[in-house]
Amino acid sequence: MSTPIDWDAVRAVVWKNVTAVKRSKAVVLPMLLLPAVMLLGLPIVIGILAAGSAPMNVGSLLNGVPSNLADPIVSLPERQQAVVLVLGYLIAPLFLIIPLMVSAVLAADAFAGEKERRTIETLLHLPISNRDLYLAKLLSAFLPAVAVSWVGFACYLVVGNASAWPVMHRLFLPTWLWTAVILWLSPAVAAFGLGIMVRVSARARTSQEANQLGGTVILPLVLAIVAQTSVLLLAELWVTLVIGAVVWAVAIALNVRGARRFARDTLATKL
Amino acid sequence: MADVAISTDGLTRVFGTQVALSALSIEVPRGEVLALLGPNGAGKTTTVRLLNAVLAPDAGSMRVLGIDPLVDPDELRRHTGVLTEHAGLDDRLTATENLLAVARIRGMDTAVARRRIGELLERFGMSARADQRVAGASTGQRKRIALARSLLHDPEVLFLDEPTSGLDPAAIRDVVAMIDSLAAEQGRTVILCTHFLGEADELADRMAMLHHGHLEAFGRPAELAAQLWNGIPATLEVGGIDLPAAADLVLSIRGVLDVTLDGASLALSIVDREVLARAVSELVRAGADVFAARPETHTLSDVYFEVERRRADDGTTAMGSAVNAGAADAGTASGMRPISPAPPPPPPPPAPRSPETQAQP
Repeated sequence: MSTPIDWDAVRAVVWKNVTAVKRSKAVVLPMLLLPAVMLLGLPIVIGILAAGSAPMNVGSLLNGVPSNLADPIVSLPERQQAVVLVLGYLIAPLFLIIPLMVSAVLAADAFAGEKERRTIETLLHLPISNRDLYLAKLLSAFLPAVAVSWVGFACYLVVGNASAWPVMHRLFLPTWLWTAVILWLSPAVAAFGLGIMVRVSARARTSQEANQLGGTVILPLVLAIVAQTSVLLLAELWVTLVIGAVVWAVAIALNVRGARRFARDTLATKL
Repeated sequence: MADVAISTDGLTRVFGTQVALSALSIEVPRGEVLALLGPNGAGKTTTVRLLNAVLAPDAGSMRVLGIDPLVDPDELRRHTGVLTEHAGLDDRLTATENLLAVARIRGMDTAVARRRIGELLERFGMSARADQRVAGASTGQRKRIALARSLLHDPEVLFLDEPTSGLDPAAIRDVVAMIDSLAAEQGRTVILCTHFLGEADELADRMAMLHHGHLEAFGRPAELAAQLWNGIPATLEVGGIDLPAAADLVLSIRGVLDVTLDGASLALSIVDREVLARAVSELVRAGADVFAARPETHTLSDVYFEVERRRADDGTTAMGSAVNAGAADAGTASGMRPISPAPPPPPPPPAPRSPETQAQP
């Protein structure tokens, strides 16, 4: 029978990691740069372009897109069609890069970074089980990744609605698609990426090595999957929910397996 | 056994093809300081990691405070404290934050932990740095903060890997006194990995010498010395008697193993210090003047270098049959395994410790 999780110890490790990461410019800057460009810069540019350019009918772009998505957009005034299509739908799948990237950066810091700083051995000598240590490291990356996603999205709502106001004259964000992506799919993608990245990070000797492995192998792979499923995401809300459920299932399986295989001995052997 | 803090039996760990620790069998009673000695790569850190359940052995068994580290590793770690070779502090956190994180992982109440952290940082002269990030701290300061961290929960067994490296002389004196007090007054068991033999000599009740993972010597330094040199060296300064006659007289006393003339003195090898008193008594009775009688103690350093020397001279001797003088009184069943072949007659000891006593007629 497995022992209950020692949440005090898990919280302590998460607190230590998050406190340290918040003070590390090398970790925080790359983590915030992409969300800032995507969630603040992009809606501003789209809003400005939409307000300043001639009306554009996007009907031809939506050929092949399911009618339940295309019809509400095409039925809008022409000036609003591009804004709603881009800010309301097309950016949503791309948004998934953010939780993935943030969690990858933090996971690299969580294990490989600790090895690099020679702080991991101290942790291994403490009374925290392998499973709880894995869970703590997972949450140390997962919680900030979700927090950055949600706070970023809140900013996106404000900036998107504000920049499109001259064209839209109403609040049009969030759409149902966005809501499902943010609340359901985005945390699932973060957990999925972590299931892979924590293992990569545990095997890498430095956070740079972990980031390189993650950046060159893991992220492109997941991005390809995201790109392939983008059209699916745009189809129906229930499809997004089902995709989210599948990603959650894979993520949970990966992490349960990761926690079971996580061993102090393996980590200590590489110190 | 209740009074045994650590026992290992055939403890072995292999990394790939490299044997990091080979069949280590030792017992350390509670309240003692064991100096774990040996060159880099000897297996000292591997031993500490095995005993604290960070590594798993490939063979053998062990008990620490009666706990099998393989069965209940977290329970064991609740009672042990470890100072790793590298201080292992997160530069981005303050000293207090580094210690607080560990205290919370150990389940300490935050208010209690803060009070304890304050006390320990003050004890190690780190109060001024308590709320500063570790990034700007010197090696010695880091070591002191890490030492405070290892003592947070008042551990019953303390593993200290190079506790004084990087410290200034005053801090070394304080840390040595602290370790001594932990063992002698508070009954804590300390495993001290160090390259500083003087420090080990001052603190250690027993020594374990490792080389390439093999135990080469284990026991109390004095007992090991008695095995290595076949007796305790002593010097007698005499007058009023013909020296060769005095030598013959002393050699006839029971317990005197050897006597040689050393200028105006007699160099003795005796089985224990009481023999020296008998020698003085016999010489005085024979009309001699005894100006000084000095039993000389082989230090831990002497033992260390002698074992090293013998291994270098004949590698199989030391490595194949460890000098083991700690087993009998530590309660192990294995008994003593004296070094073989039999050691030569007592050579002049390498840099013996200063005379402890001086007897005057």
